[in-house]
Amino acid sequence: MGMTSLLEIRGLHVGFKIFDGLLKVLAGVELAIGEGERVGLVGETGCGKTTTVKSVLRVLPIPPARLDGGEILYRAQDILKMKPREVRHLRRTELTAIFQDPLQALNPVFTVGTQLRDIVLDSLAAAGQRLTRKEITARCVQALAETGMPDPERIMSNYPIQLSGGMRQRVCIAEALIKSAKLLLADEPTTNLDVTIQDQILRKLDELVEEKGMSVLMITHSLGVVMDLTERVYIMYAGTIVEEGRTEELFARPLHPYTQGLMKSVPKLTGEGISKGIAGRIPNYLEPPSGCRFHPRCEHAMPICEEERPPLFSTGVNRRVACFLYQRS
Amino acid sequence: MAKYIALRLGQSIFVLFGLSLLIFFIARVVPGDPARVALGNLATEEQVQKLRAEMHLDRPFAVQYYYWLKSMLRGDLGKSLYTQRPVTTDLRQYIPATLELILFATLISLVFGQVTGVLAGYFRNSWFDNLSRLASYLGVATPSFVVAILLLFIFSQLLKLAPSVGRLPLMVKAPPTVTGFMIIDSLLAGRPDLTLLALKHLVLPAFSLAVIHIAQEGRITRSSLIENVQKDYIIAHEVHGIRPTKLVFKYLLKPSIIPTVTVMGLDFAFLMSNAFLVELVFFWPGFARYAVNAMLSKDLNAIVAVVLVIGVTFALVNLVVDTIITFLDPAIRIQRRGG
Repeated sequence: MGMTSLLEIRGLHVGFKIFDGLLKVLAGVELAIGEGERVGLVGETGCGKTTTVKSVLRVLPIPPARLDGGEILYRAQDILKMKPREVRHLRRTELTAIFQDPLQALNPVFTVGTQLRDIVLDSLAAAGQRLTRKEITARCVQALAETGMPDPERIMSNYPIQLSGGMRQRVCIAEALIKSAKLLLADEPTTNLDVTIQDQILRKLDELVEEKGMSVLMITHSLGVVMDLTERVYIMYAGTIVEEGRTEELFARPLHPYTQGLMKSVPKLTGEGISKGIAGRIPNYLEPPSGCRFHPRCEHAMPICEEERPPLFSTGVNRRVACFLYQRS
Repeated sequence: MAKYIALRLGQSIFVLFGLSLLIFFIARVVPGDPARVALGNLATEEQVQKLRAEMHLDRPFAVQYYYWLKSMLRGDLGKSLYTQRPVTTDLRQYIPATLELILFATLISLVFGQVTGVLAGYFRNSWFDNLSRLASYLGVATPSFVVAILLLFIFSQLLKLAPSVGRLPLMVKAPPTVTGFMIIDSLLAGRPDLTLLALKHLVLPAFSLAVIHIAQEGRITRSSLIENVQKDYIIAHEVHGIRPTKLVFKYLLKPSIIPTVTVMGLDFAFLMSNAFLVELVFFWPGFARYAVNAMLSKDLNAIVAVVLVIGVTFALVNLVVDTIITFLDPAIRIQRRGG
């Protein structure tokens, strides 16, 4: 990485207690984001991306969720050990997030203006500033305008149900960026939008983040999004990081068998039809496979894969892969 | 919004029209000859015929209904056989007493029910939630008159904290009746000391009535809160640093309270007639007692009035509830406006 990490997740284990037993979802997630860096986190649905984000934001419902080890360092302070007041301060000044479904992420019974204003009020209070009501409103309107929202003054007095999906996501972006945070966690911010809108919104988001010099963790299952918007990428499989590297390099030369399968499963416009994808499915978290969690689906599986968890082997600068194929003997 | 309320008002009038038909049916068709009932067995056939003509009973039902509705709208509900007074006079005396009681009971259940509901929902599965669950089972399972007797025994007999029965102490002269609400009338008469006395008399019966509603409404708010607390938008508010009190009492409570408001309206209207046993225990000169007496003594005019009052109460309460919900839920408001 070279630069100092803003956020560093070390060996994060998170489980969910359910009636049938314990779902061991996150099994040692390792991830770091540098100051001003844009990082992708890619994996299929159910691999633990959202659980990772919620852990960082400290919004996992405990119980049923259960922290089984690891630390999440923000500027070298463990978020998991913070008191509620400290977490709140962090959320008001440093951390922010955009969620997957803009239809669910806005409170249905309050206007856009009310929701935005309250964020400004509380984050200002945390920063020890005071603004008049008029100044706050002006700031909200500006934040909406920045997202490319047409007619932001009018939108302020609208309720979410009066807005389209794309407009709602612009409101969510305005909410996330209005408090001038340093790190944005974007959890599949465009998955539930029309393809044409997806692109517009992502570009706008990219532009704003660049302008504000924020760090970003972009969570997605879309390889295209990661290619376009991130410098470095982590590939996640069944609650573990299987590979990391500079985006371009990793896409050019995927190392982990899972990543290779993932790349092949992207349909191409140049014929060949639709690929077969990776055989099998994401494992059951109640009794996850021993050793490497990918081994039951892996074409290259060796006896050791079943017995031992592969650590992340370094194969170059900023390049690590959790697979015994790359173990230097 | 105003248009929506006007529309609902129109619907209520329609409902009341239906109700009036029903009452007319009960009053005129079911129990036989009202003229004979009014005059008694000793009257001659001639007298009965004369009264039948006066009461338009010899005309078709439609015409009868017209005259009946007309006199009812003029406030003439006939004479009560039991009290020997015009029914409207009775109603003017008894309705405010019960209204005062159940308004106060509703207020109590609103405050206690919502506070426990919110706390239990927010701290779910905590000791408080478990305690309130136990208490609410007890509250729902205990009939209100049992609560009334228990409260009387504890607070009035043992602790001597509250007066026992009635709306004011026996020796105290009531303020002149203006609204029929003891609290308001005493204030109007410039007697705040009486207001305090009236409040003291109100607390125990109102609380007896409120217990079951505290339990039910609290539980409804709790479960609705628990459903909403998992929603993305609450997580988003949290992530954006909204302070906990605002998060719970503004952003979480407003969307969660909508089902409770509906139930609260129905509970209020139910109390109008269901306050009977509590009114009996506390010697409360209220409408519910009047209603039961009317039924027991087969006092037809009074029964008609009672059904009418309860019907009107339901219609009005529904109107109020719908208006409040429209105010709480923009989705309803916006859909009505059509866009």
